[in-house]
Amino acid sequence: MKTWLVLFRKEWLEMIRNYKVIWIPLAFVLFGLLQPITSYYMPEILKNAGNLPNGAVIKIPIPLSGEVLAQTLGQYNQMGILVLVLAFMGIIASERKSGMTKAILVKPVGYSSYITAKWTSAVLLSAGAIFLSMAASWYYTVLLIGDFPFMNVVKGASIFFIWILFLITLTVFFSSFLKSSGLVAAFTLLLSILVTLLTSLLGKWMEWSPYQLTNAAATLFTAGRIEGPFLLPLITTVILTVLLLSLAATRKSNS
Amino acid sequence: MNFHINWALVAPIIAIQAILVIIALIDLSKTEKTNGPKWMWVLIILFLEVLGPISYFIIGRKQS
Repeated sequence: MKTWLVLFRKEWLEMIRNYKVIWIPLAFVLFGLLQPITSYYMPEILKNAGNLPNGAVIKIPIPLSGEVLAQTLGQYNQMGILVLVLAFMGIIASERKSGMTKAILVKPVGYSSYITAKWTSAVLLSAGAIFLSMAASWYYTVLLIGDFPFMNVVKGASIFFIWILFLITLTVFFSSFLKSSGLVAAFTLLLSILVTLLTSLLGKWMEWSPYQLTNAAATLFTAGRIEGPFLLPLITTVILTVLLLSLAATRKSNS
Repeated sequence: MNFHINWALVAPIIAIQAILVIIALIDLSKTEKTNGPKWMWVLIILFLEVLGPISYFIIGRKQS
């Protein structure tokens, strides 16, 4: 436990030194703020940007606050995942490449605590980023569009975060054995796109898919309660996460 | 073009962008080697608003 804490501290020190602690949350807050603002200004933007014929009337209703928050989740699903995966792709791969892993494992440090310390810090940082950003998005949505219960935002963000947790674990898993961090990012992103696509195309057979958690969170925002599958994807996601993490942690470093 | 902007709303966004740009530039000035020429990254950070600093942090820094 004590060595684990030392590794954990080292991980945070590293993330402070390469500014991840600052820029990842800030980037997320930016994504979160932009969504309510663009929804609010959309009618004016369209009015000024398009070269419409004189007298054309466009009526775009300002979306409900729940819809805006659901769209924010959509932002995280594109830009957010891209940023997180690219930020953490080298989490183990690049350290192994530079010989850092060997230098650490020479000391009496278990391989599993080395991996889990890295995983925990990555998870905590992205959780902080997402909750901070979601709170910012909620604040702007309430200010510009309409009231929305904060408790629902917390619940929805927590459900959505489990999907992110799965993707981060996938990144750590690939990073634990692939040589190049570029490959890690490519595999993780490809797999996440595949899961997303298959889930939306074959909804009937993919009720267990981790991506369903995003839908659950989105319906919690738009409809006020969770519609569609929730328990099944939750269980599979937790099982897959534990499985991937334990696979990554037990793999003997053979390089 | 009578686009009315509420600056109180936009100010936090500008502030966040400014912080990102400043951190990226500070980091760039400290590191001696980046992927690609340094002056190119200065331009990218300054002119690509949000994506500039982020892409610098992701691909510009040499992982050490």
